[in-house]
Amino acid sequence: MRVLIIEDEEKTADYLHRGLTEQGYTTDVAREGIEGLHMALESDYAVIILDVMLPGLDGYGVLRALRARKQTPVIMLTARENVDDRIRGLREGADDYLGKPFSFLELVARLQALTRRSGGHEPVQISIADLWIDLISRKATRAGARLDLTAKEFSLLSVLARRHGEILSKTSIAEMVWDINFDSDANVVEVAIKRLRAKLDGPFEQKLLHTIRGMGYVLESRVLEHRRGE
Amino acid sequence: MCSKAVYWSTVVASNSIALRLSGMFALVALLVFLLIGWALYLQVDKGLGLLPEAEVDARYSVLESQVQRFGDLEHWGKLSSKLRLLSEEDKRLRFWVVSDHPNYEFGNPDPEIRAFAKGPLGMRDLNLSDHDYPFKVLVSEFPAKDQRPPLRFLTAIDTETFWQTQHSLLIALISLAAIGIALASALGYWVARIGLKPLLDLSLEARKLTPPHLSGRLQLSSLPPELDQFVTSFNSTLGRVEQAYSRLESFNADVAHELRSPLTNLIGQTQVALTRGRSAEHYFEVLQSNLEELERLRSIINDMLFLASADQGSRATELTESSLAEEVATTLDYLDFILEDAQVQVQVRGNAHAPIEKAHLRRALINLLHNAVQHTSPGQVIHVDILDEGDHVSIGVTNPGAQISGEHLPKLFERFYRVDASRSNSGANHGLGLAIVKAIALMHGGTVFARSEHGENTFGINLPC
Repeated sequence: MRVLIIEDEEKTADYLHRGLTEQGYTTDVAREGIEGLHMALESDYAVIILDVMLPGLDGYGVLRALRARKQTPVIMLTARENVDDRIRGLREGADDYLGKPFSFLELVARLQALTRRSGGHEPVQISIADLWIDLISRKATRAGARLDLTAKEFSLLSVLARRHGEILSKTSIAEMVWDINFDSDANVVEVAIKRLRAKLDGPFEQKLLHTIRGMGYVLESRVLEHRRGE
Repeated sequence: MCSKAVYWSTVVASNSIALRLSGMFALVALLVFLLIGWALYLQVDKGLGLLPEAEVDARYSVLESQVQRFGDLEHWGKLSSKLRLLSEEDKRLRFWVVSDHPNYEFGNPDPEIRAFAKGPLGMRDLNLSDHDYPFKVLVSEFPAKDQRPPLRFLTAIDTETFWQTQHSLLIALISLAAIGIALASALGYWVARIGLKPLLDLSLEARKLTPPHLSGRLQLSSLPPELDQFVTSFNSTLGRVEQAYSRLESFNADVAHELRSPLTNLIGQTQVALTRGRSAEHYFEVLQSNLEELERLRSIINDMLFLASADQGSRATELTESSLAEEVATTLDYLDFILEDAQVQVQVRGNAHAPIEKAHLRRALINLLHNAVQHTSPGQVIHVDILDEGDHVSIGVTNPGAQISGEHLPKLFERFYRVDASRSNSGANHGLGLAIVKAIALMHGGTVFARSEHGENTFGINLPC
């Protein structure tokens, strides 16, 4: 899947390029607006990541010129946390909007949301190692034994299971489980994960729910221990 | 002295109080003079108007019986010389006698006079072509007696002097009024300057009170009582400015402090890690720890930006009329695990509806409730009271807890404010929670409140409904 990054800040462009490449995307980088617009019009990208403040033609200019000819999904990045900017970006045809500083995981999540929108189907049942989850009847078993989960715990498990193998930040977990899309002082996600972990992994040798310090959580079956340095 | 000169020059140049006062004095003087002058003039005019008639009447009444009595030429001669004498004595007086017989006439009546004499009897005005002012004339008729034919007797007085008196009175009144007005405004200016002297002193004193000399105050004792209120409110404004100024200073220091500790960790840890070769695990750990610090920075910066946008007057825009009890329930659902862990119960009482931006209000509620949970012991109950107060609704979160002194209470909504001066940094809690509650209240056009009484502490927000 091809992604175009239009960003003049060198470090940002570099880590986005490296990170997205490692996530399996084919990425091109443009360092200024006119070059970026040219590339966006010439090739077909799945998503364009567009910085607002660019030399030459700014992000809004690129977006306007692009929208005149193409409907490629666009995620806007801006250092200015301003509601007007957000409204302006979305009104001029951006599909999503991220204010700096944003987390890389957040960006990946938004990218996936944009690319998944077209097609794709939600699974009804998920199995990871000896964990088996039925999303319709909202039941989960491990090694054949029924897990006694509360409704919220099941929601949390299903969010992690749908994206198994993928690191989910606390913010996106809070958004998907509780529809809370802002940082709060309360460490609700941590507490919820602790509870889920006690029920899910407590009595079992093989741990499935892993903490990635500073980033978030991932549900996966790890054949190789220390793969992520834990 | 120099600044005084500057002050007065600016006073004269601009539309100063002194100038405006003297202008108003002039206007008042003009009105008063106009009124008095007009009344005076009318009164005198009326008096002067009656004067010629009275005079003519008086002259005539003296002559009437004599004219009545004479019947021959001999007597007529006496009368003529008397009339001549009278009109020589008083130049204003004229007499005409008009009859069919030229011997019984007086004053050489020309055709103009004859025509006039034939008109109705009584007091009339006569305009002569060779004279600027009219004569006041009493026309009387005497029937024939003895040899004398019937005749008409005209007693006239020239009104010129009356008109002239009236005219000079008018001029005197106008010029007096003009002098009066000029005097009133000049004296008024002088009086205003003297009266405004305390104000000048005050402004010179106030000029000294600029940052950083904000601790001074204007002195009340030497000032006239009229300025008391102004000085008092000026001083209290100054007090607020000083408070805001010092709060801003300590706020900047707090921000720097909050950012400095994660930065110190970041720089230090990274430097230590790089001083020698480390295992991959070690690097991994340093990076993870760095990431935690960076997340902390990000969260502080995001909160600061949120507060800044509220400060700049950003308002909640996506308002939807919502049940506040429902919003509280949603928030409690989110905090469920935290409440269970803390073994704290929450009871919600009452309900009300208000237009709110849901995400913002939830954030405020989470912060209020989380703040309450942190100060509640296991087994205790937190109360959420939703009240409809008519013009506004209030949501108060009450937890049992130690008394908070009145001095701290209102300041708890300030950024980074902590009751104990030692800045204990407990994880993600960086002292902005209640400040964000206040910002959200402001964004909705509402306010925040804090109470501490009977072993219960309540924090809450009022929202317009």
